[in-house]
Amino acid sequence: MRVGVLGIGKTPHKIQHQKSLRDLIVEAGTKAIDDAGVDSRDIQALYLGNAASPGFNYENSTGLMGAHHLGIVPSPAVRVEAACGTGAWALHLGCVAILSGLYDTVMVLGAEKMNDLATVEGTSVIAQAADSKEEYFSGLTFPSGVALTARKYMQVYGLTEEDLAHTSVKNHYYGARNPYAHLRFECTVEEVMRSAKVADPLKLYEVCPMTDASSALVLCREDILRDQPDKPQVYITATQMGTGTWYAAGDTLDDAYNLLAKPAERAYQMADLSPADMDVAEIYNSFAIQEPLGIEALGFAEQGEGWKGASDGATWMDGPTAVNLSGGLLCKGHPLGATGATQAVDVVEQLRGTAPADMQRPSAEAGISACRGGPGSVAAIHIYQRLEG
Amino acid sequence: MTVSAIEFSRLGPPKLRLHAMRCTGCGELHPWWERYHCYSCGGRELVEQELAGPGELTNYTVVYYPPRDFLGQEPYVVGHITMDEGVLMPAPVVDVPPEDVKVGTRVKATLRRMKLGHEGDVYYGQKFVVDDGAAGGDS
Amino acid sequence: MAALLSYGVYLPRYRAPLGEIQRFYGRPGRPRAKALATPALDEDPLTMGFEAAREALAGQAAPGAVLVVTQAPPVGLRKTSATLAEALGLEDVVPMDLGGQPGGLLDAFAIAAHMAAADERPVLVVATDHLVSHAERVADMLSAGGAAAFLVGSAGGFAELGASARARREVYDVWLLGTEAEPRYRLEVLFEVYGVVAGEALSSLEHATGRAVGEYAAVAASQPHPQTIRALGRCGVTQEQLAATNFVGEIGNIGAASVGVALALACDAASAGQSIAVFGYGGGEGIAQAVEVVDAPPAIDAAARIPGAEIALGTYYRWTRGRQAEPH
Repeated sequence: MRVGVLGIGKTPHKIQHQKSLRDLIVEAGTKAIDDAGVDSRDIQALYLGNAASPGFNYENSTGLMGAHHLGIVPSPAVRVEAACGTGAWALHLGCVAILSGLYDTVMVLGAEKMNDLATVEGTSVIAQAADSKEEYFSGLTFPSGVALTARKYMQVYGLTEEDLAHTSVKNHYYGARNPYAHLRFECTVEEVMRSAKVADPLKLYEVCPMTDASSALVLCREDILRDQPDKPQVYITATQMGTGTWYAAGDTLDDAYNLLAKPAERAYQMADLSPADMDVAEIYNSFAIQEPLGIEALGFAEQGEGWKGASDGATWMDGPTAVNLSGGLLCKGHPLGATGATQAVDVVEQLRGTAPADMQRPSAEAGISACRGGPGSVAAIHIYQRLEG
Repeated sequence: MTVSAIEFSRLGPPKLRLHAMRCTGCGELHPWWERYHCYSCGGRELVEQELAGPGELTNYTVVYYPPRDFLGQEPYVVGHITMDEGVLMPAPVVDVPPEDVKVGTRVKATLRRMKLGHEGDVYYGQKFVVDDGAAGGDS
Repeated sequence: MAALLSYGVYLPRYRAPLGEIQRFYGRPGRPRAKALATPALDEDPLTMGFEAAREALAGQAAPGAVLVVTQAPPVGLRKTSATLAEALGLEDVVPMDLGGQPGGLLDAFAIAAHMAAADERPVLVVATDHLVSHAERVADMLSAGGAAAFLVGSAGGFAELGASARARREVYDVWLLGTEAEPRYRLEVLFEVYGVVAGEALSSLEHATGRAVGEYAAVAASQPHPQTIRALGRCGVTQEQLAATNFVGEIGNIGAASVGVALALACDAASAGQSIAVFGYGGGEGIAQAVEVVDAPPAIDAAARIPGAEIALGTYYRWTRGRQAEPH
């Protein structure tokens, strides 16, 4: 498959009290439309990923709101929701729309405005992505649910908290260099270890902040992009999705692995590529432990060894596959519905060569994004390639 | 956020009792929320089975940033308890300093307030305390 | 003759610093108790009653009725006893809530005795309380939380419920106006009337049983304040008779559960052939009852639960006020 990425756009990722949800949607969508060189009326469908506007913003039907204010009307629009995998699901639907032949040019947009509520309220809204009536009713939050996985991982593979802290160090190194990131400071292993506890064993520098942001892509039929050779020739060449358990209680380390590994395997087959071909990867890491788990599932390391690349250099800029050169969700934050779309935009920038110099992987030709969601329930793998000629 | 009194009337009463769901097809025990589908055999008939109370803490975390309904209780321990009957139950572990809890600690269930609903209803639910084998409790 | 089959006690594990509470309010004088047994934020009379009831029910036949005595039902206009029965997994029981006054455990025993005689099943009686006080009254009210449960049968058991006697004065010593959230009190009235009705009730009990007050192995009494223990002394009750059952100076006033915990402590220390005088007091009324121990009681070592874990003043206020605040 080949779906052309005609245009991309994103807002800064941070707390933005002056901007409303619709301000963010219009900002990112307009940037993508302008970057694509099209008119809003050329967009034939809008897939707007937004995970929790009823909770965070007391408004619903975000897709319809986005269609109106982006000038996409009368083309159809829909709000897409799949917990933290929302943005990637919007991307998948955009690809499916193009591949079906029903649409030539669509927009994929992810947006979330989390900071109109106090943290404690926001935490409760986020918990609605899990079973807030039953399992999460018992005082679990997303950080604590993932903390249980972290503890299991440490136990099974005999790791210390210091071993895992390197992941945050790497993400912060690059996040400091990303002008669009929420958190832009480097940190050391000691600083990670000293940071405030959030849900034992996870500490503040191992969990993402609550962020307001939007990211968007204009996708098109392959030949439309081919016929504009002056535009960067970046294509999506695989899109594979999956689900897993909706309950943290049911989420074993094997489940966490399989959640991403199975769609990743299908995605590599779809693109006829292998892990060794990937120059860059954007791997979902709203909590630091998810990066090693994703590295393993995507085939960049053996199970139980995914954490090593952050300390031995294998997942840094010059390693075989650079992971999260954007600073990851740890630094960009995790605006729930935007994240999957932001990952796509960030990989595309790497393949275009337009990321800031100190976070740009030279000659990147192939990249992969892995998004996940829920307690262990959503998986989304996309492969991107620069294909000249 | 929270639920209405109508939903409370549905969700509240089952939480008063410590129970799991047993598949009538294969006999497998599942956590209390699995009322519809048995992932072991694909069966659709599950019934409530009361649990005795004791179990082992097979994993846990300590929450420092609680959701709204748990404000004032942090830091608190949330554990995965493997009940003696074999089924896994997620629940808070209370009345013990977080540093005194570890994987392998024996615990037993008790009834505690969970939260106030948005129409003033009080939810009760299952929490766990350390089972030091002291006198009292069930047989 | 109605009998006690088993019993249980639940005291919350936390002890609030009454001295600091008093200083916070600028209240002079020595604290009247070392600490206040304080339920955690997630505890209330239902959950405490649940724990005490579980202990009393362990290994026993299922009851046919559940009687709850409390001055602080967590939810009004519905029966705490009914929710408690549901939580205990008891089917086909008659639930009843007794309000009235904090000495009402003995009213419940009287009702339970009749019900057990009419039915083959025993009756579960639970006394549980946590009267939360506010503002400057908290130091005087000594308000704390706890629960005691007893299984009453028509026969058998380790002790028989014997004769009882009542005395009453129409006074206002501690009362709660229906329009207000906070109890009012006149301690001088409490100290005086407690002694008067204790004397009368114990005296009437002596007439009914032919046994002098001094002959009981122990006296288990409602104890809203240490001065009420002294008042008992002026009725002929000796220090020895109160040694095992006097706890208000350790953990405060646990309301309706007070006489229940005192009785449990007395049972733990008793042996066959001894008798215990139980005295429930509240609202100007005293009820005295003789309990004849006929067999070794199924002791639960309630005394071991009197000491607890210290909590800070801030924690006490977060917990006792938190439950009043609507989270949203």
